[in-house]
Amino acid sequence: MKTKFILLIIFSLFLFSKLSFSEDLKLENKINKNLRCLICQGQSIYDSQSDFAESMKIVVKQKINSGMNEEEIYSFFKMQYGEWILYDPQFNTKNFVLWLLPIVVFLAGGIIILSKFGVLKKR
Amino acid sequence: MILNYIGNFALLFCLIISLIILITSISSLNNQNFFFRKNLKELLFFKFFFALLSFCSLVALFINSEFSNETVLNNSHISKPLFYKISGTWGNHEGSLLLWLLILTFFAFFYFLKSKNRPNDERLLTIMFQEVVILGFIFFLLKASNPFNIIYPVPKEGLGLNPILQDPLLAIHPPVLYLGYVTTSIVFSSSLAGLIRGNINSLWAKDLRKWVFISWTFLTLGILLGSIWAYYELGWGGFWFWDPVENISLMPWLSLTALVHCVLVLEKRSIFHSWTVILSIITFTLGICGTFLVRSGILNSVHTFANDPERGLYILFFLFFLIFLSVLIYFIYEDKFELNNKNINFYTKETSIILNNWFVMYFLSVILIGTVYPIFLEVLSNEKISVGPPFFNKLIIPFLIPFLIFMSVGPNLKWIKKNKFSNKFKLIIIFILSISLSILVSKFFGNTTLNITILLAASFYLFITTIKDFLKNGFKNYSQTISHFGFSLLVLSILMNSIFSKEITSNMRVGDEIKFSNKIIKLQKIENTTEVNFLKFIAYFIIEEKNKTKFILRPEIRIYDKPETITSEAAIKTDIFKDRFLVVNLVKENEYLNVRYQEKPFMLWIWISAILISLGGIINIFKKNEKKIL
Repeated sequence: MKTKFILLIIFSLFLFSKLSFSEDLKLENKINKNLRCLICQGQSIYDSQSDFAESMKIVVKQKINSGMNEEEIYSFFKMQYGEWILYDPQFNTKNFVLWLLPIVVFLAGGIIILSKFGVLKKR
Repeated sequence: MILNYIGNFALLFCLIISLIILITSISSLNNQNFFFRKNLKELLFFKFFFALLSFCSLVALFINSEFSNETVLNNSHISKPLFYKISGTWGNHEGSLLLWLLILTFFAFFYFLKSKNRPNDERLLTIMFQEVVILGFIFFLLKASNPFNIIYPVPKEGLGLNPILQDPLLAIHPPVLYLGYVTTSIVFSSSLAGLIRGNINSLWAKDLRKWVFISWTFLTLGILLGSIWAYYELGWGGFWFWDPVENISLMPWLSLTALVHCVLVLEKRSIFHSWTVILSIITFTLGICGTFLVRSGILNSVHTFANDPERGLYILFFLFFLIFLSVLIYFIYEDKFELNNKNINFYTKETSIILNNWFVMYFLSVILIGTVYPIFLEVLSNEKISVGPPFFNKLIIPFLIPFLIFMSVGPNLKWIKKNKFSNKFKLIIIFILSISLSILVSKFFGNTTLNITILLAASFYLFITTIKDFLKNGFKNYSQTISHFGFSLLVLSILMNSIFSKEITSNMRVGDEIKFSNKIIKLQKIENTTEVNFLKFIAYFIIEEKNKTKFILRPEIRIYDKPETITSEAAIKTDIFKDRFLVVNLVKENEYLNVRYQEKPFMLWIWISAILISLGGIINIFKKNEKKIL
């Protein structure tokens, strides 16, 4: 049982450490992939060929060249178009359920399994 | 014109037969009238026959381009090639639902033929629940989305099929996926029937297992076809977008994956009775839920081609009815489950399957919450948020690591027995080996984070362990070994693909050259040709590598006339270890082309591994039954 709890702690640490799949990609692509093309159906501006996406890509490039960092660019777009444009939902009062509910489900599942084990072992 | 009436009346006959079966099966449940069963087979056959007739008349309407039919009018066009006229039958909402119905009636009949070793009352109950589902679909077809609506006066020309759907892979993708979805209905009905009759035991699990594996295999293949299509047609080289519609097909797949494992334990050890039933219900509900979410147009997604809230409301009602029905039955008959107070030791196969189910259900909940939460938020607070790939990556990847390790160790454990690992030493050696291998890979190529290195180590571990298992056990349990091996290959290829992919984007004119890691990419010429239903621009690119090997890539831009749409067709050169992916795009009012060239390693292996995963399923379907270990 102990090892399990240790494992659990390690995973939760993982969750809060910065985890991203695209750190080796260029910053620009990373940002492009994280912005929704507003006139398309469910595509990022990276994946879209629409005029809107093309002009957005240019804006992203300009912002990077003008020395803004990733977070600043995201908040710039969020100011302009709302949170809808960001593919990576932020952890805030609105979204904390979204982030925490799966973890709660996971823990609940673990508790159910452990309790079953306990019950079974007593008999 | 006459075909419209044939199709419609065939549907009505289907409805009548279905009602007859439902009513008689309910009444013969009470007075145990077994005499009726002699006609049941014929009735089931005729129901299937009329569904087939109805479907064939729709196909014929599409082939003849009879625009008196509203569905044909909206989704077809005279100049469309014959192949796409036929596939257009299920490329739209009404036709795809008719296909659902056809497969449903077929499987109801097929189940009846193949279930002779089950008790008769259980078979009858299964058919009864199956009829409830079928009736729901027939009513829906007739009331809210009739494929045989007649239009008068008859228009001369149809509106055409969305060009990105005119693709050979997408022609077979929906039927394969539906085969998977629809077989879950048999699993669902059979679970409820078994529950009512108190038949949930290892024998029942043995018979159910086939259906679970059929369903799982078709779903796997269906999802694979869909993502291959997305790879070369939709995006700029992506194959999985965490798009709501993709998520929806993945959710029943995940719960089926849990069920595949759980049903094995029920068969071998006669434990997990209630959990198996719950999983069956969840799986089918998720399938219907998917239909609801896609068809209602609630999702904002690439794939939502049919938007109609009224239809959504009907499916929502039907969905709640089914959930209510199954929950009710579950709680009424719950006490019929076999009591089990068997001990489960920690170091056994059973435990590893519990862990599997635990993690798989977690992955399912991440996807479910990520897909549904934005809808709820918008309804409740009118705020729109997007949940995209970063969310899923962050919540799934850390949990994938222990999952992979359990997956490698699990098959090495034994049922029941407490004696720990039979080959602890080897497993530890492999563990050290895979860690060093992944450190080597990430150090050698640089640029990777610690998390990726750990994930890489975990997938190497599964990869090597499954190879070891295969060498040791040979063909003893090879369906499982192949599927697990396929899964490790899948994770490895996806990882390698995302680590080592390279790309360049540029604007080019005819004659321009760009340099890209030891390569020269040259745009030689652009040709245009006229095809039956579109205008085609072909760009000829010469790619010259450092060792003087040359090859030509020909990406296209197509301008379809009906409906007017511009699509980009990627040019892909597939090698064993690497895909070269080139796609071009028109830059408005300019002679330049927007070019994106990508090198994507191990793409082929992603498809191969998915095929291996489903191959394991196919082997299991045809495998002779093994003895039960009590």
